[in-house]
Amino acid sequence: MNKKIAELEPSTSRKRTRDKESEPESEDDVESSRSLSLEENFTFSDTLMALRMMRAQFPHIEKVSVEPFVLQSQLYSSIKDRTQVDRELESLRRDKLLRMFKLTTGQDDHAVMFTEDYLNQIERVVRRMEEKQQNDLTVFEWFKMHVIQSKLDTSIGHQELCSLLSLGGKVKDEQISQLINAGLLIRQLIDENMYWFSIPNIGSVLKGLSQGRKELLSFLSRRKYREMMMATLEKKRLRLSPLDMRFHLRDLIGSGHLKTVQTPSGLIVRVAKD
Amino acid sequence: MWKETREREFGNIRPNLFSSRISKSRVSSIRLSNYKEIVSSHRGSVNSLQVDLTEGRYLLAGASDATVAVYDIERATDYDGGGLIAKHKSLFVINKQHEHGHKYAISSAIWYPIDTGLFVTGSYDHHINVWDTNTTHVVMNFKMPGKVYRTAMSSIARSHMLIAAGTEDVQVRLCDIASGAFAHTLSGHRDGVMSLEWSTSSEYVLVTGGCDGAIRFWDIRRAGSFCVLDQSRSQIGRRPPLLVRPMTNKKSSSTAQSSSAKVRAPQKKLANGNALKPHAVCRISSQVKTAKQRLHPGMLSSHDRATGHYGVVTGLKVTEDGMYLLSAGSDSRLRLWDVESGCNTLVNFETTRLQSSKAIQMAVSQDSSLAFVPCMTTAKAFDIWSGQTKCTFRGHYENVNCCWYDALNQELYTGGNDRQILVWSPSKSISDEVDEWKKEQAATIDQDNWSD
Repeated sequence: MNKKIAELEPSTSRKRTRDKESEPESEDDVESSRSLSLEENFTFSDTLMALRMMRAQFPHIEKVSVEPFVLQSQLYSSIKDRTQVDRELESLRRDKLLRMFKLTTGQDDHAVMFTEDYLNQIERVVRRMEEKQQNDLTVFEWFKMHVIQSKLDTSIGHQELCSLLSLGGKVKDEQISQLINAGLLIRQLIDENMYWFSIPNIGSVLKGLSQGRKELLSFLSRRKYREMMMATLEKKRLRLSPLDMRFHLRDLIGSGHLKTVQTPSGLIVRVAKD
Repeated sequence: MWKETREREFGNIRPNLFSSRISKSRVSSIRLSNYKEIVSSHRGSVNSLQVDLTEGRYLLAGASDATVAVYDIERATDYDGGGLIAKHKSLFVINKQHEHGHKYAISSAIWYPIDTGLFVTGSYDHHINVWDTNTTHVVMNFKMPGKVYRTAMSSIARSHMLIAAGTEDVQVRLCDIASGAFAHTLSGHRDGVMSLEWSTSSEYVLVTGGCDGAIRFWDIRRAGSFCVLDQSRSQIGRRPPLLVRPMTNKKSSSTAQSSSAKVRAPQKKLANGNALKPHAVCRISSQVKTAKQRLHPGMLSSHDRATGHYGVVTGLKVTEDGMYLLSAGSDSRLRLWDVESGCNTLVNFETTRLQSSKAIQMAVSQDSSLAFVPCMTTAKAFDIWSGQTKCTFRGHYENVNCCWYDALNQELYTGGNDRQILVWSPSKSISDEVDEWKKEQAATIDQDNWSD
């Protein structure tokens, strides 16, 4: 655990490394943190620390390459005051430090991703499309430069999207289809005219997320007293989800489906009856 | 409490502070009443509860079996348990057998705000009836195009007697009792209207929540809604910041404009980024005001597709000071909105699930510190500013539909699908009552034994 916190030190310098893009990852992280100003990294908010910690704990998935993201319910599980979490997320979002995405799994699921990670993910997708010899990828540049910088919400209307993209050049309908095919924009059933921002390549992870949730809940519900010690539960592996048990536990506790009870022999995780 | 009474005597604390302290301590000790019970005469789930606003004495309840009943909550009809439990039976019940009674479920029953001589019921049989309380006859009848989900009358209205009705039709209709006809309709919603409330600060402002998730504010003197609440527009804290930081977001201009929420319509209409007809792909700028002249300025808001919730808006409640609006949605979220700025205050109420198929009726305490919300089979009291659950009221066997907070006695009435109306009141210890009763008995014995 201490080692993890030491590894976190360089990640506090997120704001700086964005400007110094040339800095490679293999550099000694501890050294770089000393060269950054203390003033910028002087005070931290609970939410920001929780986000960084959970980002560092994001499970490594072999087949799919997805940058780490944190679910909003996971934040609720670790910080007591949910209103404070919401408000701090809002101010971090306005400072363009992170972006929020509305997910299609379940009703009020939101994913939080740091802006650098999101931009890296877009880069990866663009490179893959280049390899497939798709030409005219200028729309992605326009998207990164104009749309992401100015539109901080989770969704965007068709008109606004066109007008923002046309700040780069003339917009064609095929280009918007390119964006949708890349997975950057999706449409949800709620409204036909709205596009929702989305994390590319996240489809299989989301499927794993919902299946993992169901599996964990059904596993606990089948037990005699519908509860289990957290220490033993943590070690189990989920069959249907590439994400690890810790991810799912945090998510379900934060969304209220499971609750934890402190006992003399440790924490017990119990299915919450409504 | 005695310490506070003494402080009041000496003039150390003001009368308002004294009374608010007493009521706060009473509210925090609310639990299932052990001395008061309402004998429900309904055979279907209780959908709507209201205590009259003038005297605070009569409770009106509407149920799914088309029955309406009025209960006297101050005087009990009989006593039980050795005189300790007061049972309140209904003063009268109107059911399907009544010649003008409703045929299907009653979704909303409200008192006429001026006095208890009239009450209004709205039902799934597409009718709104206005009843005379003393003779239990229907005085007026309005036929709606769809199932009536909610009716409301403004309690502060001095110049109009309009019943606002939300139905499964997209238009909100205003029915006038004085003339017996429809006054006008408000269009803008894209799906049925499940919840509506009049504002507590202006007699002409109506708030409606639709099945499309939108929450709209209407000034009934004008066409179109002047404000549509958007859940992505938020403010941090109770009051919006004085200096709005200039955001590169297109909505920044609209935020500045919409902060003067109740001013002229033409400026107001531009408070949305998507207010354009689909055939024109042009830059959104201030010139758009001149571009769309064909549409009435009041109707531009119908293009605004901002939503307050990701599902149906099942309940609305305006706080008594008129500054905040609490809304519940079928996405199981409760949101607190600042009415003046139209922003989401981002208070997070810990609700795991809220009923999504039926409308729920919420209550707010008088000093706007506690919100009583029916959550599935329980009713919960939330602290409005921090969103924490203060108390959970478990007593109903099935889903709770409605709750009403009586500020005069600090009592909470809840009605649910289990056909019961439960009373939750501050505890009065039984032992005190038994002592009183015994003393009474003893006194009579003493009197008898006095020798002259």
